[in-house]
Amino acid sequence: MTNNDSDEQHGFHRHGDNAFVAEFSESEREVLINLVEQIIELLAERTDNHVDDPLAAMVGITTHDTPPDDEVLLRLLPNAYADQVDAAEFRRYTESTLRAKKYAHSMSMRMGLKSAIDGIIEVDHDGANDWLGAMNDIRLALGVRLNVEQNSHDELELLAPDDPMRGVYAVYSWLGWLQESLIVALMDEGI
Amino acid sequence: MVKIDESTKVDSAVEAAIKEIFNGDKPWVTIVWDDPVNLMTYVTYVLMELFGYTREKAHELMMKVHTEGKAVVSTGSREEMEHDVARLHEYGLWATLQRGDQAL
Repeated sequence: MTNNDSDEQHGFHRHGDNAFVAEFSESEREVLINLVEQIIELLAERTDNHVDDPLAAMVGITTHDTPPDDEVLLRLLPNAYADQVDAAEFRRYTESTLRAKKYAHSMSMRMGLKSAIDGIIEVDHDGANDWLGAMNDIRLALGVRLNVEQNSHDELELLAPDDPMRGVYAVYSWLGWLQESLIVALMDEGI
Repeated sequence: MVKIDESTKVDSAVEAAIKEIFNGDKPWVTIVWDDPVNLMTYVTYVLMELFGYTREKAHELMMKVHTEGKAVVSTGSREEMEHDVARLHEYGLWATLQRGDQAL
């Protein structure tokens, strides 16, 4: 886990009982749309192509009983059991639902960004949870690409200016700050 | 269909095992593992949202994950723990379930 001090001047703010508002510049909005669309595409790649049994398809049983090969997808759709047999069984019955829920979080965030007027986003508590889940999935994905398991924050801070990962790390850090501002606003109500 | 003779004597050990299966001592646990991406406040918030824990309890569990690498966040039947793990995965926490009597 990581700690992130939020700047109280920006990011999400609470407006009244059940509204959370943030204002984004056009470039910030474009970055967020681009990132959330990448998650949507990634989730869509792992479709249930070959479910022959319509009843199985209807109740959400998928053909997937092996974890994704892609490291990012594996972090988004992790094993529920250390035991491989139990993990495969659980995945067969639940992965499709998990993907649908993550897809819904990302679509909610995308729709909010696409329909924002003057870059202003306003979400209620449920919408805020969608945003948190979606932003977290983006951070998990970027975290895999940045190899944050191995690289310390100090090492990532010291990336060379021409290293493309430097820009990725800047976005990753900014998203963490944005996510933190929304959590602080949500916890403000004393739940 | 097998007809059970009411006078059948059930062995007490078997009876205890059956009782454990049906209502038992909630032998499964959900574990959240530390990872370097999830924000500390986010883990606390998700535990409050999903389990209805107080901020204090959620914070305590989060700190246990952070300092010890993992923490049991809920206990119950296997089905209940599968439900909890699925909800934690929905919000990106790294969670697994296992029998509570297995060494952590």
